[in-house]
Amino acid sequence: MAVRALTRGLLGFRYSRAATVASPCGGHHYVTAPSAKPPQPQAGDVTEKILNQPLEKADFFRVAELFSLKDLFDARVHLGHKKGCRHRLMEPYLYGCRLDHDIINLDQTMEHLQLALNFTAHIAYRGGIILFVSRRRQFGHLVETTAKDCGEYAHTRYWQGGLLTNANIQYGPGVRLPDLIIFLSTLNNVFQQHVGIRDAAKMNIPTVGVVDSNCNPSLVTYPVPGNDDTPAAVELYCRLFKMTINRAKDRRKQMELIHDVPSSSWKTDFNEATKNFH
Amino acid sequence: MAALCRVVSGLRYRVRLSPRFLRNSFSSDSGPAESPISGFSAAFDHQEVLRRETQSNAAGPKASSLDPELSFAALLRRSPLIQMGPAKDAVVVGRVFRVVRDDLYIDFGGKFHCVCQRPAGADGLQPGSRVRLRLQDMELTARFLGASTDTTLLEAQAVLLGPLDGREHQIRD
Repeated sequence: MAVRALTRGLLGFRYSRAATVASPCGGHHYVTAPSAKPPQPQAGDVTEKILNQPLEKADFFRVAELFSLKDLFDARVHLGHKKGCRHRLMEPYLYGCRLDHDIINLDQTMEHLQLALNFTAHIAYRGGIILFVSRRRQFGHLVETTAKDCGEYAHTRYWQGGLLTNANIQYGPGVRLPDLIIFLSTLNNVFQQHVGIRDAAKMNIPTVGVVDSNCNPSLVTYPVPGNDDTPAAVELYCRLFKMTINRAKDRRKQMELIHDVPSSSWKTDFNEATKNFH
Repeated sequence: MAALCRVVSGLRYRVRLSPRFLRNSFSSDSGPAESPISGFSAAFDHQEVLRRETQSNAAGPKASSLDPELSFAALLRRSPLIQMGPAKDAVVVGRVFRVVRDDLYIDFGGKFHCVCQRPAGADGLQPGSRVRLRLQDMELTARFLGASTDTTLLEAQAVLLGPLDGREHQIRD
């Protein structure tokens, strides 16, 4: 999607051959200077091949094998809040209501979770920065250790207003924003939605979010309807995301070894490309 | 043809339960030698075994989508939460997972945990001990004036009846 287009555009910028373009607007001729010749044209083709190969299959990283319906059921993912707490927009994801308690439809959750894990794997494969966000104090430590175990980032404290939207001023010019934000709980407290969802949508950052029956799933790119209050469920999500990200990163290292690409870390290559873009 | 299939499937449901039930009730009396099954039930069991074998060979990891006993609807229907019925005054077994001075945080398998005061003299209740509870509510919610949704406390309410086996000083995991 947007990330793929961005990556493609950046790679094109980096490895484009010399070209002069004359655009006749207002009588002036604008000629772009020829960009620097790529040092190894072979490396560019191989990197393109490494990046494009996972896109040919639907479930390249086989994330569907990581979990089953029984695992979700045993982790109590299907339990929702009471009928009075229900959000109107969550009604399509509910299986029904039993004695005033909402039950989330696990068949739908399976599909949504598979899409979300697949997307996360592709982002991790391409060296994207992933940020785990959760304002539930009960699971703050768990989320932070999960992020540490897969080499990504977590933010479980107070979210300052301009963290994403005012990043250039708050953190210095040219700061790199996350490429994916994973919300283990989309609520700040039981009344307010987390500010990060709105801000990520403003900054064109895709989000994956676990939405319970009292949450608003509108702005989340890959909502995963499920329980976000029980420790067993949150531990399951953390484990699944960690396994997916590690699997994708290991696969990338494997592909680089197979194609004999010099294993300078591709995250810093992405950094340099982004700086040139700015 | 369709009517015949419907009749056969109706018979199938009834016959499926009875031979297994009979076998379970007779197993303790007759020991290892089972009462000989013959006729339709024998043929049906044989066909079931064959069907399962072909399914497991062909399907592989996707067996859960073909096996109706593992569908979400079946799992939900047989889950203890649904079988329990209304939560008011239901007696359940919980496990203490955290103790903060006199408060015991007890998880009984629902969405939320409950918090109970430690009764006087029950110092044997440590994290990991099992207790009996009488549930009052699975989730404490209330709609206040002027609000569009309920306010939830993210907790259940239960009355602590005592440790599981009456042996207060033993810790069970």
